[in-house]
Amino acid sequence: MGCRVGVDIGGTFTDFCVFDEDSGALHTLKVLSTPERPGEEVLAGLREIERRHGVTADQISYFTHGTTVGVNTVIQRKGINLCLFATEKFEDVLEVARLKMPDPYDLFSRRPVPLVTREKVFSIPGRMLFDGSEDMPLDEDAVRAAIAGVRAVDGEGIVVSLLHSYRNPDHERRVVEIVEREAPDLFVVSSHQVWPIIREYERTVTATVAGYVQPRVGYYLTSLQGALMDAGVTAVPMITKSNGGIMTAEAGKTRCAQMLLSGTASGVIGACQVARMADVDNALSLDVGGTSADVAVVRAGEPQYGVGEMIGEFPIHIPTVSVTSIGEGGGSIAWVDPHGVLKVGPESAGSNPGPACYGQGGERPTITDAFVVSGFLGAMGLGYGEVTMREDLARAAVGELAAVLSMSIEDTAEAIIKIAVSGMYLEVSKMVSRYGIDPRDMSLVAFGGAGPMLACHVARELNMRRIVVPLTPGVLSAFGGLIADIKNDFIQTVYLDLDDKTAAPIRDGFAAMSVEAMTWLREEQGYTGEATLLYSADMRYRGQSFEIDTMLRLSDIEDGDVAALAAAFHAEHERLYEHADAEAPIQVINLRLVVVGEPPKPELLPLAEATGEPEALHGIDIYADGGWHGAAIYRRDALRAGHRFQGPAVIAQDDCTTCVLGGFTVQVDTYGNLILEAED
Amino acid sequence: MAIDSVTLEILRNHCRAAAESMAFTLYRTAHSTFVKETEDFTTGLTTPDGETFATPTDLGATWFVGLNYKNVIDLIDHYEEGDICLTNDPYSGYVCTHSPDMHIWKPVFHAGEIICFVVGHIHNTDVGGAVPASLSRTLVEVHQEGIRIPPAKIMEKGELNEDVMSIMLANVRMPEQNWGDLKAQIAAMNTGERRVHEMIAKFGIETFKEGTAQLLDYAERQARAIVKDLPDGRYFFADYMDEDVVDGYPCRIALDVTIEGEEMVFDFTGSDPQIEGSVNIPTGGEVRHALIMVGLVYVLYSLDTRLFLNSGVSRVCSCILPSGTIVNPEFPAAVGLRTLSVTRLQAIIFGAFVQAAPDRLPASPASGGPIMNVNAIDNKTGRRVVASIDPIMGGAGGDPFADGADGSGANSSFMKNTPVEINEAEVPIRILRYGLLPGSGGPGLHRGGLATVLEFRAEAPNTRVTARNRDRTRFTSWGVRGGRAGTPSTFLLNPGKAGEVNLGNTDILTIGPGDEIRVASGGAGGWGNPFEREREAVLLDVRRGFVSLASAKDDYGVVIVDGAIDDAATSKQRAGRTGETSNQFYDYGEGREGFERLWTTANYAALTELLRALPVHWRFFVKHRVFEAVDALEDAARKGDGSEIRAIVADILENYPQLQISA
Repeated sequence: MGCRVGVDIGGTFTDFCVFDEDSGALHTLKVLSTPERPGEEVLAGLREIERRHGVTADQISYFTHGTTVGVNTVIQRKGINLCLFATEKFEDVLEVARLKMPDPYDLFSRRPVPLVTREKVFSIPGRMLFDGSEDMPLDEDAVRAAIAGVRAVDGEGIVVSLLHSYRNPDHERRVVEIVEREAPDLFVVSSHQVWPIIREYERTVTATVAGYVQPRVGYYLTSLQGALMDAGVTAVPMITKSNGGIMTAEAGKTRCAQMLLSGTASGVIGACQVARMADVDNALSLDVGGTSADVAVVRAGEPQYGVGEMIGEFPIHIPTVSVTSIGEGGGSIAWVDPHGVLKVGPESAGSNPGPACYGQGGERPTITDAFVVSGFLGAMGLGYGEVTMREDLARAAVGELAAVLSMSIEDTAEAIIKIAVSGMYLEVSKMVSRYGIDPRDMSLVAFGGAGPMLACHVARELNMRRIVVPLTPGVLSAFGGLIADIKNDFIQTVYLDLDDKTAAPIRDGFAAMSVEAMTWLREEQGYTGEATLLYSADMRYRGQSFEIDTMLRLSDIEDGDVAALAAAFHAEHERLYEHADAEAPIQVINLRLVVVGEPPKPELLPLAEATGEPEALHGIDIYADGGWHGAAIYRRDALRAGHRFQGPAVIAQDDCTTCVLGGFTVQVDTYGNLILEAED
Repeated sequence: MAIDSVTLEILRNHCRAAAESMAFTLYRTAHSTFVKETEDFTTGLTTPDGETFATPTDLGATWFVGLNYKNVIDLIDHYEEGDICLTNDPYSGYVCTHSPDMHIWKPVFHAGEIICFVVGHIHNTDVGGAVPASLSRTLVEVHQEGIRIPPAKIMEKGELNEDVMSIMLANVRMPEQNWGDLKAQIAAMNTGERRVHEMIAKFGIETFKEGTAQLLDYAERQARAIVKDLPDGRYFFADYMDEDVVDGYPCRIALDVTIEGEEMVFDFTGSDPQIEGSVNIPTGGEVRHALIMVGLVYVLYSLDTRLFLNSGVSRVCSCILPSGTIVNPEFPAAVGLRTLSVTRLQAIIFGAFVQAAPDRLPASPASGGPIMNVNAIDNKTGRRVVASIDPIMGGAGGDPFADGADGSGANSSFMKNTPVEINEAEVPIRILRYGLLPGSGGPGLHRGGLATVLEFRAEAPNTRVTARNRDRTRFTSWGVRGGRAGTPSTFLLNPGKAGEVNLGNTDILTIGPGDEIRVASGGAGGWGNPFEREREAVLLDVRRGFVSLASAKDDYGVVIVDGAIDDAATSKQRAGRTGETSNQFYDYGEGREGFERLWTTANYAALTELLRALPVHWRFFVKHRVFEAVDALEDAARKGDGSEIRAIVADILENYPQLQISA
């Protein structure tokens, strides 16, 4: 037995969640991130954990971590000088993308500048066809000429993406071989290696994002491995993935495309676990930090997956836990437009300078400042006592808008909150209509530094009756990493009509993929426990331009029961789109396989039972619904299972503050989650 | 009661949420691939008077922000709770603008009173008529463009009207798709209705009623502030489509914009007579018709993207649309392919406004490329494949701040392409090239966006290729303030081979295995003097293959030797060509300049004036006779002052005594 450590490295803070397998205790910590010196914040955190909780490096039996280093590299455009080798006469694939513009009403709207601009794209003659046959052989001299071109632009790396390589990667492989032989110092990766899907733009942009960041991520992971080793941590470091799973840090060096959204994904994994512990089937997770607010759908305790999630300005098409951005977070700035209308966002004060109340030079009012003016925040420090709330600065910032609007400062603060929340309502509304779900039947799992602050307002706006605030809302991504499975996705494009003739190729395709999957799990990951294989296929009615990932039963695949495979698709189509056509011909575009290994999970202990009424620290005044109200403030670590009290109230803990509005009742459940229920 | 601005802002988000939710519901549950692919639909909420106060911006067509349902609302004499109405008749109230668009509206009641309507439309793939998909340039009467349902209740008190439904479905080629899409529309209406009831519960009925009216006022106020910033004045602009009908003559739309204070008038007097074809724009002469407002909405929103998009925006404008012209055809003129003319109309509005705000607006976007469809039998499966393979749109105009977007942009920003790999998997063709067309963007301080080019080879016999909305082979996208016009669009059969055919504006042809097609849109216009473009930007364009060495030297005055700028040679090349050297505000390109040497301003004015005096059903006929006669004129007879046109028309009147009777 020992301690399991989950770490989530964000742009500003690095979060720790430590589970002591002997005592069952869960410890949390936040330290400042050190993006210039990767790994240093991890060591600093481990030292602090040792100081506070006596956990030494050799006691760490399990170590997972997520990082935003890849995403930040893209957002800040600090990746390598990358070149693209593309099929001749199709070199504009990144420039043209899918044509559609971000804002179709704006004559000035533009697609983002590609990570590889056109002068760094080189033509490769040679052509594969859709059926995998070679129409024109690869021109190897042209490959050598292209390498010379890369030298001429001081390129540091090459992405090779050729037409139909998802079906026949021979040309891509050969180009990689030539580059490795003739220019061994250049980094090179091919599109079929990263994620072999049909649709040239999607495959190329995914490979390009991966190639752009991979050397940076690889360097980072090597540094971290070294730092952990130096510190005496013997556990194999694992990293969290965009698909909600984990893999070894070593694997991440070559498969960094799979870990770009690991932080948001493992937050949702954490939220799913919380939902299961609180006996909630269907939920929306609400993750609000200083600079972003994200929502995800949890159905039957499981996250939803999708492709095309954005890394900065670019979509990446590997399977990812679906998360929808609904706003800019606690740092969103309030302002008044020329017509005297109060607006919130999209500009954000971010973490630097941050809200005015942080006293770091921010002068413009943010959502967080509005909560300070309303009295919800500021009675206690934040961030493990590192941030002191300056109410005077918050009032001054909000006061400037109040003067413009001729309203009181408190009413202005409340207006800021309500307008911000109505903007979140707008975004959540789109999302629920896209999924065809009704939030009124769901619970809201609120986390992130500002999620529990906003949760009651958001729930009220969406007519949601129940909120769950986990025990460690500020470090839920780190917690998610602790409980995540070892997991990998495999895909094979088959592009078949679903009929009796295709039963065999489907069966054979899955058989080959299972071999590949088990090799990954056993040999690459060194996992020896029980493995689960999940089979699905991207299917569609002929004529449709998008596919639905449909779960399939292994027995139907092995029996060649085409009718059962079709029925699974019809049912899924019906569930998503409210109609199906049993007569329509079906195409199977991709076979998919997910391999899952479940490492032993931490067994969280129930919280001690309450023996009396919860003890409020003291009374405070909060401003809500146009007036001042008395409210109690509680310390989270003083609450016990079974405690119950009414809002308005404030619950303070190191990593976050939960704001409970009047009309909500708080109940502490067995595991210490706060269950907030709206009264009728 | 005036609602405070905070409540109004919250209500605004809720109204937008309702409109967006309707759009996502429709998109999610629509049956036809066409709806999912093209997003040619919309949803919205209107006041009881039909003014749209909330529209979605994430999904759907960009053309219907200013739509007013009042005319069709009034054509139903009585509403009950649970009623849903529809129409696809372009001549019943001028809400629907061509027959494939099925418009639908549902009253939302509160305490027995209609407090708003939820509305929307879907472009159906087919509504019957003379040709599959119901649209063709060759059609001349709306009756050929499919079944028309005048405003009728499809649901009465929540019950489906089987009679209307069965008549409609009996007349279309793919009834199950139309029915499936109509169900999606009905689902969207019900979503909208539920959201409205939730808003009433949250805000109260008085706040909702007053608030929705104030949202229109808010958008109007924002629009007025934008217009107020533009200098008062008259701004005339006209442009041409290459052909009014197949192998016909050019067709002009002329616009006189008068801006005065916070308001403006659009006067279309001077536009061509209505056409014996299907590119007419059915507006009914409405003072603020949605199709005319599209270009205005683009301009105002681009000037300030904080603008809240609803019908309140169009209140700043009123239009004069003479009857019997292309912008207000008389029944039963065909209107199916008004997309082509409305696209041109948008750029004409841009052309007028760029005079008012030359430092704030772009040059002309590219256009004229088609939406390409292929219909052929797959050699492997023996199955007939009908596929939309790509929209060939071209880029945005250069603007005061940057180069135009390449390949797509400006008013064609909502279209998506089809991946090469999917086309090759689904359609019996081989794609030979797809991307940007080098050298196509109009030179400028800020270059016009490049054209899109597609080349493919047919693999099956009797491959029918449809290229809808072909244009700009002759009249190119204009540059502005010294910026130059983009290149013309092209459409070639077997390019570079024996038997190459220039297909011009052909929009349908049949080819066989081995035949190759090359299609390119026009390039967009440039903004500002190209000889002042940064040298490094020209070099980068050359390195990117977007501009040739020759063009760098001739069009930009930048001399590049061995991949580097020759500074001395460049300075020499540019000498005397920088600064305001050109006295022409627009560069129209050679096609239009050549045409206007014959068809001078005075000549065209004489033509439209004389045609206006004729009965509507004669105008198009006489226009063609005049064009024939002008083409046949001896050079010596060309005065350009209108006199030769008057003489020609006098001859025609003499030769057609029937016309004199009719007149």
